[in-house]
Amino acid sequence: MTIDITFELNGAAATLAVEPHHSLREALRRLGMFSVRFGSDSGETGAAAVLYDGRLASADVILAASADGHSVTTVESLNVSPDLHPIQTAFVAVGAFQSGYSAGAMILGTLALLRENPDPSEDEIRDMLSGILDRETAYVKPVEAVKRAAAVLRGAESEPFAPLVLEPLTDGYRPAPDGDTGTAPEAPHAVPRLVPSREVPDMAVVGKPEVKVDAVRLAKGNPAFTDDIEPRGMLYAKVLRSPHAHARILSIDDSRARAVPGVHAVLHHGNTPRVKYASGGQSWPNPHPYDQVSFDDRVRHVGDRVAAVAAETIEAAEEAVRLIDVTYEVLPAVFDERLAMDPDAPKIHDEEDTTHICDPERNLVHHLAAQRGDVDGNLAAAPHVFEQTFRVHQVQQCPIEPHISMAWLDSDERMVVRTATQVPFHTRRMLAPLIDMDIKDIRVIKPRIGGGFGAKQEMLIEDIVAHLAIATRRPVRLELDRAEEFYASRTRHPQTITFRTAVDDDGTLLAQDMRLIGNTGPYGTHGFTVQIVSGLRGLTSYNAASKRFDCHVVYTNIPVPGAYRGYGAPQAEFALEAHMEDIAGALGLDPIEFKRRNWVKVGDEMDIAPHLGERAVAEEELDEYPKVMSSGIEECVAQGMREMGWSRRNDESWKAPPDRPNIRRGLGFAFCMHGTAIPFLDMGGCSIKLNDDGSFNMLIGATDLGTGADTVIGQIAAEVLGVPLDDIKVYSSDTDMTPFDTGAYASSTTYISGTAALRAAEAVRVRLKERAAMLLEVDEPCTIELRDRRAYAADGRSVTLEEIALDSLHWQEQEQIMGTASHVSPDCPPPFAAQFAEVEVDTDTGQVTVTKLVMAVDCGVAINPVTASGQVEGGMIQALGYAHCEEMVYDDDGRMVNPSFGPYKIYRADEMPDTVVYLVQTMEDSGPFGAKAVAEIPKDGVAPAVRNAILNATGVALNDLPFTPERVWAALQAQA
Amino acid sequence: MPLVTAYHRPRSLDEALDLLSSPRRVALGGGTTLNADREPSDLEAVDLQALGLDRVAAADDGRVRLGATATLDAVRRCELLPESLRELARAEQPSTLRTLATVGGLVARASAESLMLAGLLAHEARVELAGPGRAGSAESGLGELLAAGLRPGSLITAVTVDPSGSTAVSRTGRTPADVPIVGAYGRRTDGFVAMALTGVADHPVLVDVHDPTAGLDPAGDFRGSRDYRLHLAGTLTARVMQELYP
Repeated sequence: MTIDITFELNGAAATLAVEPHHSLREALRRLGMFSVRFGSDSGETGAAAVLYDGRLASADVILAASADGHSVTTVESLNVSPDLHPIQTAFVAVGAFQSGYSAGAMILGTLALLRENPDPSEDEIRDMLSGILDRETAYVKPVEAVKRAAAVLRGAESEPFAPLVLEPLTDGYRPAPDGDTGTAPEAPHAVPRLVPSREVPDMAVVGKPEVKVDAVRLAKGNPAFTDDIEPRGMLYAKVLRSPHAHARILSIDDSRARAVPGVHAVLHHGNTPRVKYASGGQSWPNPHPYDQVSFDDRVRHVGDRVAAVAAETIEAAEEAVRLIDVTYEVLPAVFDERLAMDPDAPKIHDEEDTTHICDPERNLVHHLAAQRGDVDGNLAAAPHVFEQTFRVHQVQQCPIEPHISMAWLDSDERMVVRTATQVPFHTRRMLAPLIDMDIKDIRVIKPRIGGGFGAKQEMLIEDIVAHLAIATRRPVRLELDRAEEFYASRTRHPQTITFRTAVDDDGTLLAQDMRLIGNTGPYGTHGFTVQIVSGLRGLTSYNAASKRFDCHVVYTNIPVPGAYRGYGAPQAEFALEAHMEDIAGALGLDPIEFKRRNWVKVGDEMDIAPHLGERAVAEEELDEYPKVMSSGIEECVAQGMREMGWSRRNDESWKAPPDRPNIRRGLGFAFCMHGTAIPFLDMGGCSIKLNDDGSFNMLIGATDLGTGADTVIGQIAAEVLGVPLDDIKVYSSDTDMTPFDTGAYASSTTYISGTAALRAAEAVRVRLKERAAMLLEVDEPCTIELRDRRAYAADGRSVTLEEIALDSLHWQEQEQIMGTASHVSPDCPPPFAAQFAEVEVDTDTGQVTVTKLVMAVDCGVAINPVTASGQVEGGMIQALGYAHCEEMVYDDDGRMVNPSFGPYKIYRADEMPDTVVYLVQTMEDSGPFGAKAVAEIPKDGVAPAVRNAILNATGVALNDLPFTPERVWAALQAQA
Repeated sequence: MPLVTAYHRPRSLDEALDLLSSPRRVALGGGTTLNADREPSDLEAVDLQALGLDRVAAADDGRVRLGATATLDAVRRCELLPESLRELARAEQPSTLRTLATVGGLVARASAESLMLAGLLAHEARVELAGPGRAGSAESGLGELLAAGLRPGSLITAVTVDPSGSTAVSRTGRTPADVPIVGAYGRRTDGFVAMALTGVADHPVLVDVHDPTAGLDPAGDFRGSRDYRLHLAGTLTARVMQELYP
């Protein structure tokens, strides 16, 4: 039964026939309002918020029929000209969009707020944003955007948004002489504080707060994401998922499902080829074991795949899924990694065709070990030995755009997969054997992505849509709902980590012994490499005479862990920084002084690093160990201490406010060190060509998840070519069109893909100079300089790049000026950071309120300080969720009890701590224009800094995450 | 979104009650509960938007009458109500849902965790009901209604509250804007205190301020065990009392 509805859409009458169950979101998207986006069915993400009779409202939970007679406004209403509305301009100017998936909702909310109140308070702005969950920006820059928009609409002049440039407090190597004395600079929190390095020259485009290259399309809500096209004749897929944590499928009867009108295919283990694979999006060859198949006769976690359906409508697909009759033999399950290796634990992989499991009888996937020096000897001889065990939990990445893929066979019968992925090239390679097609016959297109954070570093659903497209010969679309995103996507690995550390009387580390049990759920995917990174981060941050890593990676029956921003580092750094804090306390040392005494410095070896990883080598195979070549940690610490008012840490009158007897305040610190790309493995390519007007097309395989990678890489090329960023038209990525790139992970994009762009641009520059020399009749092309869209001879004469382009394309000795390059690095230069946290602990209830986070980061040269600071802000708040409130919780049968936002708590705009970001420049010679990584290090230090702040406030040391009220209260009770 | 098989928009209360006499039909207020339900169902929605139940106004007896389809956003804006209750309306839902969520839906859902409901309880809320059938209107105390549940086929048409008194609120959650694990709302009038708690029973309840945990046997969950909730009930009640009697 359809219902004809008429409503006012963006000022004009719209008429539509809808089904009674259709949401307003679905109706608006049918009408081409692509800014209204899916985040969940229950409306709590706000990605589909519109103005409904002038008020901000989630269109997910409004029946389309209910909208009859109402007024609906979407952001498309503002797109009346090529120019942006002042609100859109403000969001663009301050870098308020990362992926921009919820851009429309934020702009509409601002529009409604400012109509009602032209001068809103920050609380009112944050309240407006409270319904729009943003996993990327920490709301810092969106709040600033609303303020700026309000000011502009009130008639104020708009100042350019730029970093606040500060004088250094140190000489770069030694601690600040005055501790934290002095006043922190005043500026809005959204403004990055930039401490320049004298080694870094001033540049035209690099280092500048350029507007993102995709900002306009995001601000306008233009179709850009996977779901924003709809191939003709598309079918909708749904997946039947296991209700059991561990079971054998005895039979599947799909006859009733196939009889549902509109159903075109039902796939399961009985009719799908059994091809083993590992789903982690990693370089060839994927780490073993290959323990997955598209559809198995065994399910190993609640939410595991059982069958998939393609039908004419989502409702028909859902109905068919319900009608698939499955008989299960329920098997015992194990969830805790500490129990998985027990002899009595159920065996999760006893099938014969999975090989390379270290010990399937013990659910032991990998046993990883590395050592340098005489650990046991140092432990035995040391005057002080400390041992602590930490437990870190399972959380989910929570991109607001869930996983979504669509697949079809093109006119050449090649498989086209349009998908929200971080790894299009890996996906193409991994998909090929599963669907029995050659790589050359598969094309993977990555449109804009609404956040990934590692969850999309996986071939997760692409095989399902491809199988169904082959079975039906129709385009097929599959989108996970929010609950599936939790229990059928990927998550962060839970771990149990034990550190044993030997310390000399003067506080010098003698040995560090790290034992780790990593929980990879029922499939290996990233289990090997994530745990390796835990070892790297746990054992390379501090110098010690000897080090040992001993790690067991085990199967369990929890939903599958995988890649998550930070990739094993947040777990390890929580344990390490908590452990180091407690050692300092036990020895009566200042924690920063103790850590400083031991942390790695410029020239120090990263001594255990080569012995860990996919391409680990033995000591005798090494010529030399990699060394730290740049570090701004002392400046980071100095700036952070001043910003935080670190001396309050010992001020009892501040720590115990007399007017609030149940409150204790504290400050915490964590030293952070991360990596930049995977040496000898991560590779990116870039191709640049000159156009008639002197502009350039740049093709890159790198995948911008909203991080600003397209912009940053474009800035690098623009700097080399002497043009503004707007003259670089960036396209990424499409396996048919763009060069190979390993993908967006391992903090590699700026460093690896950026260097590829640098080299491709240099190749173009060489030819541009040669052509310019020809036109200017200069003998030595090397004397030509490119700047301001012109090529200058030493005598000041010049030609425009347009003149060079027209000459080279059309006039004499015609050629296409273009350059292609790729880059792989032998280095992995570490970014460093100082993370600070300020908390209030309610000692009667255990409630922890984080009131301020400060991170000062040495990421080398920030190619774009605005996007870089946005990365830090967003990463810190994700990390705060990990520390404080996010957790995947299960019942006794392994069913997640909180698979929705709310019960699974992520921070929203009206409850944020103050966040301040410092960017401390260093010159990393191996990086493009001095850059190192920035994307993941913000995930590393928040949990230990908050933990150490709670310790400072209350004296309670918490070794398990997260710091929920009852856990903290119980610890306080135990202390009392 | 559940599988809604038919949509009705009655123009009168009688028509709505007629429609709701079928058990397959469900009253649709703002949709934040019903339409957010992910479980498949076969139901018909009876949309109440055309019944004129959305007014928020002063009543003759000094009380404030909140129409059943008045949104929480409208409650937030109502200057007839004390600031504390308006703030609860704001905090009950984020910006994109409180413009849809209704007073009637709030009461019908009877969430154990709703601090707004606790506030209404403390303000001596009375619920105006119609039906089932065409039998006319009735009134119930909110506490009784929460305990007994809404009779099938009946419809909430309004909630009235006494806005007088001084108030205080205290809560404990994982984060500042989290749904409280336990929340306490107290209202003092003429030496009498009404104290309502969330998170300690199947729905918000009024408790004895001198023995706030008496008779409570809360179910624990991952956010708070039974014992922890009882501890919070005592602690938060004491805090509210301290604020009411500084």
